[in-house]
Amino acid sequence: MPTPQRLESLNRGKFDYQEVLRDVARSMVRLKRPDRLLKLITRFIDRQFGLTHTSLLVFDTKRNRYVFVNSKGARRFPVGLIKMDVNHPLIQWFSDSRKKQSMPKDFLFLSDVKKMLSRAEFRMASDSRGDQLTGIQKAMKNLNAELIIPGYFKDTLVGVLILGKRVNGRCFTKQEVIFFQTLAHDCSMAVKTAEYNQNLVEQNRELERRLEEIEGLRRKEQRTYYEIMRSLAEEVHAKEPCIFGHVSEVEKLGLMTAREMGIDLSGRTKDILSAALILHDVGKIGIPDNILFKPGQLTMEEWNIMKSHVEKGARILEPLTDFKRVREIIMAHHERFDGTGYPRGLKGEEIPIEARIICVVDSFHAIVSTRCYRDGRSIESAVQEIRNCSGTQFDAVVVDAFLRALRKGLHKKGAVPDVLGDYAGR
Amino acid sequence: MMRKLLVVDDEIEICEFLKSFFEDRDFKVVTASSGEKALDQVAQFQPDVVLLDIQMPGMDGLQALKKIKESNARTKVIMVTAVETQEKIEEAMRLGADNYITKPLSLEYLEKDVQDKIELLSQGMQQNSSPR
Repeated sequence: MPTPQRLESLNRGKFDYQEVLRDVARSMVRLKRPDRLLKLITRFIDRQFGLTHTSLLVFDTKRNRYVFVNSKGARRFPVGLIKMDVNHPLIQWFSDSRKKQSMPKDFLFLSDVKKMLSRAEFRMASDSRGDQLTGIQKAMKNLNAELIIPGYFKDTLVGVLILGKRVNGRCFTKQEVIFFQTLAHDCSMAVKTAEYNQNLVEQNRELERRLEEIEGLRRKEQRTYYEIMRSLAEEVHAKEPCIFGHVSEVEKLGLMTAREMGIDLSGRTKDILSAALILHDVGKIGIPDNILFKPGQLTMEEWNIMKSHVEKGARILEPLTDFKRVREIIMAHHERFDGTGYPRGLKGEEIPIEARIICVVDSFHAIVSTRCYRDGRSIESAVQEIRNCSGTQFDAVVVDAFLRALRKGLHKKGAVPDVLGDYAGR
Repeated sequence: MMRKLLVVDDEIEICEFLKSFFEDRDFKVVTASSGEKALDQVAQFQPDVVLLDIQMPGMDGLQALKKIKESNARTKVIMVTAVETQEKIEEAMRLGADNYITKPLSLEYLEKDVQDKIELLSQGMQQNSSPR
């Protein structure tokens, strides 16, 4: 950036007002943090004009007060030591004059204050303006101030430039005063721009934090809902005794089948398949027990009610927005590979792969389980039936993987039936 | 008699500024940059008022306050510090601080407070010298 360098070089030699102002304006736009610009301007004035001190008072929005942020010269103020409250006479003089336009002054000489105080209208004890001027005179003496230049942004007093006497005793020219005013204005712009930027950054951060919080709560809610659904599903399964005895056995078998098929089960894929395997029959909670546990054949009407457990399940899971796919899977877990299943008669690849897996695992589970309407059959006969339906009811690829998974699962339990033994490795 | 002020702060800039500020107001001012040096100055210079920072390397302002009040009970001590926790303020008051001013400060208020303390001292002296 050329500007700070130019100000630096100007600090050492003669300068052209116009040139400096153009530079300051340009760097003001570029600088996100105005501290450096303010510092450069203070030092520039100090060196160029040879003052007892050049100091900058800036409004601290958080604490609602004006604090010295920069000071240069032999009689400089320690930065951070002195503040002026918003009701300080000097601060009020400039903030009021801007609002009321009664005394539109964009600068104030100590000599002017003295002159005004000598006028009769200000000397009257009842005149609060007189008190104010006395306060200002005192403050200016305290600060060794000769000239004060306010800096505004819109109608807000952003800061005050406080200048000491010239060391050589010369007065300030009109042109110099205008120059200081322009610098003070530019400083205010820089401070405000930076403030807006900072506020935006902070607001953004706050928004992000809140979004995260909401997302956390939402996830927690989903988790809770999921747990409730899981208990419901277990309730459904608990009513129907089976050899695996528990819904988690079905889940294990389904996951093993998927793994055998080479499906990558990291992260969400596994969560979705797990949830679908566990929850696929949750809709049965909405089927009357006299139909659910009816010994013997169902009437057509009863069968239609029975079939509705698929849609009921999908509906129950609607609030689980994180598991939209689970609903689609559950909707399809009674579809058949040849397109003759329900409720929509989907075919082949139209049926989600997870649903095709559940279809096989669930059928196997149903065959080997003892149900109210019939006794459970042997694993051998279940395997035989699954195999018979491969390619029609079931996806053949899934059946192959399932049988390999089943064999591995039973092998661990030390009970591999012959029917699977000769199937292994194929 | 000239009024005597001791400024204690580990920041030289602050010491120098307050020294010239009060010298302009006809005070005799000495400075110290640590608690230990402050105690030496109190003994030698016998100030009327001490402006005492809290956070300083070595002996801090509160320790110094305690010792000053033990040896020179008459000396008025005004804490001038950036520390503004309730705990420190209460501790300073308990140790006998005559006021507690936080930085950044209002020059007008600081000046008035120092003048008030001088006023209190001169009143006390008059009372002591007047017959009972």
